[in-house]
Amino acid sequence: MQPLDKAASDDDRPLIERVRRGDQDAARILFERYFDRIYNYVYARLGRVEDAEDLAIDTMTRSLTRLDLFHDQGVAFSSWVYRIAHNATIDHYRREGKATLVPLESATMPVSADPADLALAQLSNDDLRGALRALTDEQQQVLILRFFQDLTAAQAAEIMGKSVGAVQALQHRALGSLERALERRPNN
Amino acid sequence: MTPEVQRLERLAERLRAVDPATPSPGAKIRGWNLVLTAVEQSATVRSRAHPVRRLLLAAVAAAVLLLAGVIAASADSLPDSTLYPLKGVVENVRGALAFSPADKVRYDLDIARTRVIEAAAMIARHRLDLADRALSSLDDQLNDAALVVQAEKQSDPALAASLENRLVQAIASNDQQLAGLQGQATNPATVTAITRARDRAQGALQTADQPASSSAAGKSSASPAATGTGSGSGNGQGNGASASPHATGNN
Repeated sequence: MQPLDKAASDDDRPLIERVRRGDQDAARILFERYFDRIYNYVYARLGRVEDAEDLAIDTMTRSLTRLDLFHDQGVAFSSWVYRIAHNATIDHYRREGKATLVPLESATMPVSADPADLALAQLSNDDLRGALRALTDEQQQVLILRFFQDLTAAQAAEIMGKSVGAVQALQHRALGSLERALERRPNN
Repeated sequence: MTPEVQRLERLAERLRAVDPATPSPGAKIRGWNLVLTAVEQSATVRSRAHPVRRLLLAAVAAAVLLLAGVIAASADSLPDSTLYPLKGVVENVRGALAFSPADKVRYDLDIARTRVIEAAAMIARHRLDLADRALSSLDDQLNDAALVVQAEKQSDPALAASLENRLVQAIASNDQQLAGLQGQATNPATVTAITRARDRAQGALQTADQPASSSAAGKSSASPAATGTGSGSGNGQGNGASASPHATGNN
């Protein structure tokens, strides 16, 4: 997945204006630019292909048809799309009745845990994704945005509505929580 | 760098190495089709109901409705109403749009009938000044119709005969109403004004009978919108002079 640099966000502006005027070609370009990213983001949160597809489509539909609600004042279009995706995910959790998770940062750390024993290379992608989904909502979000979506701390901060410092601190705690979640795996 | 930070950095690197989940081609096609449909509908709705355009249309519609309401209300207004001048404007527009001789006569007779109603209402309200103006205006309308009949006698005698017949009937009908008013009136000035109006109506009939060259009395301005204070010439002759409730100094 290509990093979403600032140039891409700048390129969005004329396309957004064209979509507002009903230009379908411009809508297609924005769809192609964001659909895979949003799918990847939502899939990382939900872990189910069907749900991720539906939510990604729903996110893109909302993004491209409610442009009257998007005002390019300090927030990039990409951030706006991610926020829509995040809200859609939260709504999905509410509808599906996701169990309330105990924040792992407050969970008991195994006394004998030796991180060096963690054979990271041996971990499957599914192990990582599964452990990730055991984190709190914000911790999942920051790790997905930073490492799956390859966004900068500043971009993640804009999407999450936090300062860069807060995002960096959250990322640190989230990685710690993920480490503990991996250690607690049943077969670990 | 502490061991903890080193561990977490390794974990972060491992996360970066996770293969990105990609949607199936089918999902992408389905997604684009749904998005395209939604974008098309959204564009249609936007073009149909742009907020500013919608506001403008609403304002124009409200203004049109208001104007139509005022005009409709003015149609039944009486000489002592504030809407009465607007009634004159509407009547003048109607008159300007009456092009054929038949239309002109119909218009004049309609207005004449209206003036009789106005005169009766003003007499009932003891507004003799306004009643007198309405009666003078009545006679001018009848005189205008008579002049049209007279002019048509040279170009289209058959049409002239038909129009004259309408004029005679209208004058007879008006005279009947005026006679009724006269019978009820107790004020001598009112009786005089009605008598004068009846006489002038008969004068209009004579005008219609005369050859065109002998009575080129000119057109009158007999609408409520005409300016001035003329209260009728009172000569008992349909001479086409302005005798409108607001006519300009022709006394």
